[in-house]
Amino acid sequence: MPMTTADTEPVLKVVDLSLSYLTRQGPLQAVQSVSFELGRGQSLGLVGESGCGKTSIANCLMRLLPDNGRLTSGQILLDGQDLVPLSEEEMRHFRWGQMAMVFQAAMNALDPVYRVGQQVVEAIEAHGVEVTTAGARERVARLFRMVGLDPQLMERYPHEFSGGMRQRAVIAMALACDPSVIIADEPTTALDVIVQDRLLRELKGVQRELSMSMIYISHDIGVVAEVTDRIGVMYAGRLVELGDTADVFGAPMHPYTAALMSSFPSISGEKHELETLPGEPPNLANPPAGCPFHPRCAYATEECREEFPAQVQRGSRWTACWHPLTDMAGVGQ
Amino acid sequence: MTSYLARRAGQMVLTLFLIVTLTFFLVQAQPGDYATFYSLNPDIPAEAREQIKASFGLDKPLWQQYLVHMKNTFTGNFGVSFGHYPRPVMEVLAERLPRTVVLFLSATAVSFYVGFFLGKAIAWRRGGVLEYAATISGATLFTAFTPAFALMMIWIFAFKLGWLPVGKFLDPLIWRGAEVSANHVFSYMLATAAVFIAFAFLTLLAARKLGRLGTGRMPFLVIAGGAAVIPIVWAFTGVGYLALDILRHMILPIATLTLISFAGTMLLTRNSMLETMREDYVMAARAKGLPEKVVRDRHAARNALLPVITSLVYSLIFAIDGSVIIEGVFSWPGTGMTLLEAVRSEDLPLVMGSMVFIGLFSLLAHVIVDVLYVYLDPRIRYQ
Amino acid sequence: MIERPPNQPPPAGEGVSLFGDAPEIDLSRGRVDLTLVRLRMAWRTLRDGWAVFVESRIGVLSLAIIAVFALMAFSHPILMATVWEPDVYDPVTGYAFDRFDHPAPPNWRHPLGTDSLGRDILSQLLFSAKSEFILGITAALVTVGIATTVGAVAAYYGGLVDSLLMRLADLIIALPGISLLIVLSALFNLNLFYLALIIGVLGGFGGTAIILKSQALSIRVKPYIEAARAAGGSHFHVIFVHIIPNLLPLSLLYMMFTVTGAIFAEAVLSFLGLLDIRMSWGIMIHTANVGGYLLSGANYWWLVIPAGASITLLCSAFYLVGRALDEVVNPRLRRHDG
Repeated sequence: MPMTTADTEPVLKVVDLSLSYLTRQGPLQAVQSVSFELGRGQSLGLVGESGCGKTSIANCLMRLLPDNGRLTSGQILLDGQDLVPLSEEEMRHFRWGQMAMVFQAAMNALDPVYRVGQQVVEAIEAHGVEVTTAGARERVARLFRMVGLDPQLMERYPHEFSGGMRQRAVIAMALACDPSVIIADEPTTALDVIVQDRLLRELKGVQRELSMSMIYISHDIGVVAEVTDRIGVMYAGRLVELGDTADVFGAPMHPYTAALMSSFPSISGEKHELETLPGEPPNLANPPAGCPFHPRCAYATEECREEFPAQVQRGSRWTACWHPLTDMAGVGQ
Repeated sequence: MTSYLARRAGQMVLTLFLIVTLTFFLVQAQPGDYATFYSLNPDIPAEAREQIKASFGLDKPLWQQYLVHMKNTFTGNFGVSFGHYPRPVMEVLAERLPRTVVLFLSATAVSFYVGFFLGKAIAWRRGGVLEYAATISGATLFTAFTPAFALMMIWIFAFKLGWLPVGKFLDPLIWRGAEVSANHVFSYMLATAAVFIAFAFLTLLAARKLGRLGTGRMPFLVIAGGAAVIPIVWAFTGVGYLALDILRHMILPIATLTLISFAGTMLLTRNSMLETMREDYVMAARAKGLPEKVVRDRHAARNALLPVITSLVYSLIFAIDGSVIIEGVFSWPGTGMTLLEAVRSEDLPLVMGSMVFIGLFSLLAHVIVDVLYVYLDPRIRYQ
Repeated sequence: MIERPPNQPPPAGEGVSLFGDAPEIDLSRGRVDLTLVRLRMAWRTLRDGWAVFVESRIGVLSLAIIAVFALMAFSHPILMATVWEPDVYDPVTGYAFDRFDHPAPPNWRHPLGTDSLGRDILSQLLFSAKSEFILGITAALVTVGIATTVGAVAAYYGGLVDSLLMRLADLIIALPGISLLIVLSALFNLNLFYLALIIGVLGGFGGTAIILKSQALSIRVKPYIEAARAAGGSHFHVIFVHIIPNLLPLSLLYMMFTVTGAIFAEAVLSFLGLLDIRMSWGIMIHTANVGGYLLSGANYWWLVIPAGASITLLCSAFYLVGRALDEVVNPRLRRHDG
């Protein structure tokens, strides 16, 4: 297991990250006080319903926020270097060189007017990974083979690719500059289940082979369980539970995690009644006081309505809940 | 791709056919006919009137007249001009067409380049002073009353500052005693321009083939070098001063036409850029750590160009109308001024001839836009 | 539903209502109420659209400019009926007997001076404003009337009807409009009304029809069109009750652009002396040009600047209002969203 390197300094450390969008209705708190660490060679999954801030975190890490996005607090430490105060030009060298991204909509992440290979070559040349064009093209051919694409496809245009091929190309593009961290934002959502499954295995394989760290973002908790070592559960812009994937799945602590798990078919094939979570996620422009989950939570009490819970921590695992489901004494040992 | 172009070409032929039909019926619908012009004199006896009518074929049934009209138009026979009698309409127009083409092409090229460049810049940095300044001045020029604006340009640059001639094609004082005709010199100038454009194009193409070695300033220096050779060559021909005179007369009309038409492209580019800037591939390009300029030019602007090219047809039509007005105001003897003269002197054959020429001209513009679009969009090129 | 005693009035509806109280819900009068509900929805859409529109400072300013010109147009008949003697101030046949130095510079009796024929410039300017509005609005109404119908019909029926109408539109946009009008002016006597009609027809079957058709296509695939057909609505009913009302916002936008085009075309043709119109801004500049006053620069500015500025201002105002409306109709152009 890649956990052997977990004792060294984490490659990515996010501290107290908060992000809001300025909108007509006022500021919208998309991400609030999120902290986590990503060990070298480790993979971390971020799950939650759509609109919970997962993608905002991904964009935030790359510092690719829309014009109305504002980072209100926090640090993003990549190999000890804080990315937040960097200028646009300094940031440019970290993008792709150190931290690359597999996009949510791979269909649209490829520019329709350039050959696919050229778009990968472009990234390699921008970071000076290879000095000559021939060298860069050789490298792209290798990457294509690695993700299971025929290198001759380099000369094709995106519209000639199928959905699965495009997704592979986007993964190859992410690997182009040997980044230490890869952020995969719903990389397989638009694909059919069989292609999705094969791609996931390959992505996992490549990540292990190159011993890269990966942040895997998805609303599909089953997919996340398959590819990650650790898992973070997000709700309404907050990280509510974080721990080793097996532990979290074995015994969820936050009621939301439990609800999320029961609304998906079990990954172990165990049969159980699928449940739907009543209510809707809160409006982030005007979130409820206290724990944002309390309007939908069966365990909510007076304190949940008034104050956001402090972290309950055990070993490498924690949750932010007034009434954790599992007895803390037995966890994380 | 071939089928797309073939279909478009088919549509063009059909359109041309319709335009010619339209001219025929317009002439039919107006009071009087071609024969009336020659038989205005009340002293002409009725017999002779009939003879004149018959000589125009006007005694034949309408459908036969239509067929003859079709055949004549497509063989380039537009009849004899009333005003330039006895010169055929075709000859008058053939002499004047190149002047319009030069005015139109250079103004369109410059205004497209400027418009695209500014539109790109104001979309990239929204809300700046540049956006307000460019939008307001662009929209004002775009909707400015063209003739008044053209006259203002003449007043400023020709009367007040005296930098440039007032109008017309050449200065008779300079040409007195010259042994060559203006058309002769002008055709050599056209040839020079064509050679230079081909040279510049090939240089850029070669630079692209060379890859990284060809980037940077090198190709532009080569092109500038080529441009520097031109005046030297002309100086040895002995008619350089005549060419310079024509050139001086060209500047003001071209500048005016450019100023009134760049805003259309600019505002279109801005809107198109705002849409492409939201595309995932632009964000992907930025995520790849490409320099800001590369993201803007190679990805956002390159894709924003496609809808701008599609709408280029409208800008071209606007520029054709603009060049008619400009030619009128500057007395630039091209197709547009020919049309105006013909309308004022009720020279019907010349009016209809100019109309077909202008129609043909706009159709050609359409064809060029189509070919350009096919070249620029691989989704159509590789179908 | 809450049961209510039959005689008690219903509670007032929330939000702003066009008619004060909320429409009464009564199934026997369902059709009338449906119309009221539609009106209220339209009112709400208008109100929201207005809120976006006023965010565009240029748009509001342009609307104000149009309002000023409209006031000018209305003021002319009033001034003629009250303070201006027709002999002196008639825009076409008047003559300023009080001066001999025509074109006379601005003075107390003639705030913008007189032209070379001794006619009052201000009177001409105000009189022409009315003509421009009549021309622009007639042309725009004809264009939009034809274009919405053509667009909706082409999108709804598709097939041969669609191909024919769209080929015709392609033909029209392939022709340079001003040049065509110049040719027509050589063949026929063009007055204001014919000019408006020709511009309107050309626009209506041309580019505007293409744009409205593509919009109508996106409406045609909406579920409520299917529902209306399934409920037994005739083709006519679906096109005129369901598709065309949804095209109106975009039509309004293209009305603005048509007005710009019509005023511009009129001015150019008048300037070239090709129209049969009594007085317009274009003719004012034409008169100055024929008299040779244009190239005298600033010496006779009152002959050119008021008319020229009016053309430019009114054209740009309609154009910019159109652009501001574009941001209302097409949310993708807005600066912030949601």
